[in-house]
Amino acid sequence: MNVNHSARGRIRIRSGWILSMALALGALGFVAAAQWNSEVQRTSYTTNAQQTLAEQAVSLEEEQDLLQTQLAAVEAELADIQAASEGSQTALAEVNEELAETRLAGGLTEVVGPGVVIEIADSRRVLPAGENPANYIVLADDLRDLVAALWHAGAEAIAINGERLVATTSIYGVGSSVLVNTAFLSPTFRLEAVGPGQLEERFRVEPAYLGRVAQRIEAFDLEFAMVSSTDLRLPPFIGSTGLRWAVPVEGSE
Amino acid sequence: MMGTPIARWSLALIAFLIGLALVAQFRSQARPVELTSLPVAELSTRIQTLSEANGRLRTALAEQRGLLAEYQAAGAQGSSALDVSREELRRIRAYSGLAPVEGQGITVQVSGALDAIALNDLINELRNAGAEALAVDETRLTARSVVVQGARTLEIDGAPIARTFTLLAVGDPDGLVAALQRPGGIVAQLEQFVSAAITISETDTLRLPATATDLAPEAATPVE
Repeated sequence: MNVNHSARGRIRIRSGWILSMALALGALGFVAAAQWNSEVQRTSYTTNAQQTLAEQAVSLEEEQDLLQTQLAAVEAELADIQAASEGSQTALAEVNEELAETRLAGGLTEVVGPGVVIEIADSRRVLPAGENPANYIVLADDLRDLVAALWHAGAEAIAINGERLVATTSIYGVGSSVLVNTAFLSPTFRLEAVGPGQLEERFRVEPAYLGRVAQRIEAFDLEFAMVSSTDLRLPPFIGSTGLRWAVPVEGSE
Repeated sequence: MMGTPIARWSLALIAFLIGLALVAQFRSQARPVELTSLPVAELSTRIQTLSEANGRLRTALAEQRGLLAEYQAAGAQGSSALDVSREELRRIRAYSGLAPVEGQGITVQVSGALDAIALNDLINELRNAGAEALAVDETRLTARSVVVQGARTLEIDGAPIARTFTLLAVGDPDGLVAALQRPGGIVAQLEQFVSAAITISETDTLRLPATATDLAPEAATPVE
């Protein structure tokens, strides 16, 4: 009888063990299948054509970096020449001083000052089944809303990941990337804004723009942080300021 | 059996594998950051955009090198240097919105209940399409211009915007029209979702005023 009791006990234990293993293996199988599906999808993207296109894009981005470096060097040389005459009381000195002020007003000069730094990044939440992945990443709309709220709060200069915003700047979504000026930017997006005191306070009470992005941050767990700073340093806009279609009206200087 | 070391190690191994798979699965949901993981269509658009942007940068570099050569040829104090600086000042003032400009472009007449975000999106679209100067009615836009909801109407730089208004854009007319009117583009979206009537026409000579906003910064100081 004892032997029989012991055998039934082993059978009950073995049943529990088998159930646990079955559940664990089932879970493993489910996750592995999900992962395999996404791997298949991802792997299928990396074709030879895709590899070639990616190499072209990298090459163009490297060329862009080089062109911007060269342009920045020429701009600096021009600024030195123009500044050299500012000390004297000549007509040239006056024009060059006004030119420096205009470049400052237009975002073409490196600036320092107090302000705020905002960082926003994609959600780390696991994508629920059936959800749109675009909900969980930072969109160009989010950046535009934050920028609009910063300007409205009194910002005098703004840069996103080092791209200074000027009169011709657009913030544009291209697939999963965000194009600012000529640069494709990736998260984390760092917005730096220089402006007078209480910039952060005024920014936080801007309802129209912050409402939409705040709702997305809350609903989809987008990463968001904001901090005030007393000594931000923003680069100048490095890009084309040439006018092909717009002609300054005579006598407007 | 559950209590045996083999059983415990087996379960631990399975838990470890599940953890690994979950991490890999989580990572696969993130935004693709490697270029090779982007769809072909997106890569093609990226290449086209970068090529055009680099073309503009090469032109800008050539122009600024030409300017530098003019200064060097003129000498720092000569009358020729004054001419070079005056021309540069005219250009930068026009670029920044501080001087009036004229030129070819498009006129966008809008009638309807646009909200501030919709109008800012429309302005952003025109900038992305290469508009060199923009104005809403008589208000010239600068980098800092933002449409906001005022007490009664939309406002931009403190000026009210009526329910019917005109958006002026100086730039390549064909490119600007194509950007606005592309299928599924901004105009189609606004007409569908905001019930706005939008009329676009190419214009040979637009004249845009200078901004009335003082752009001289108070908090931002130039780096010497």
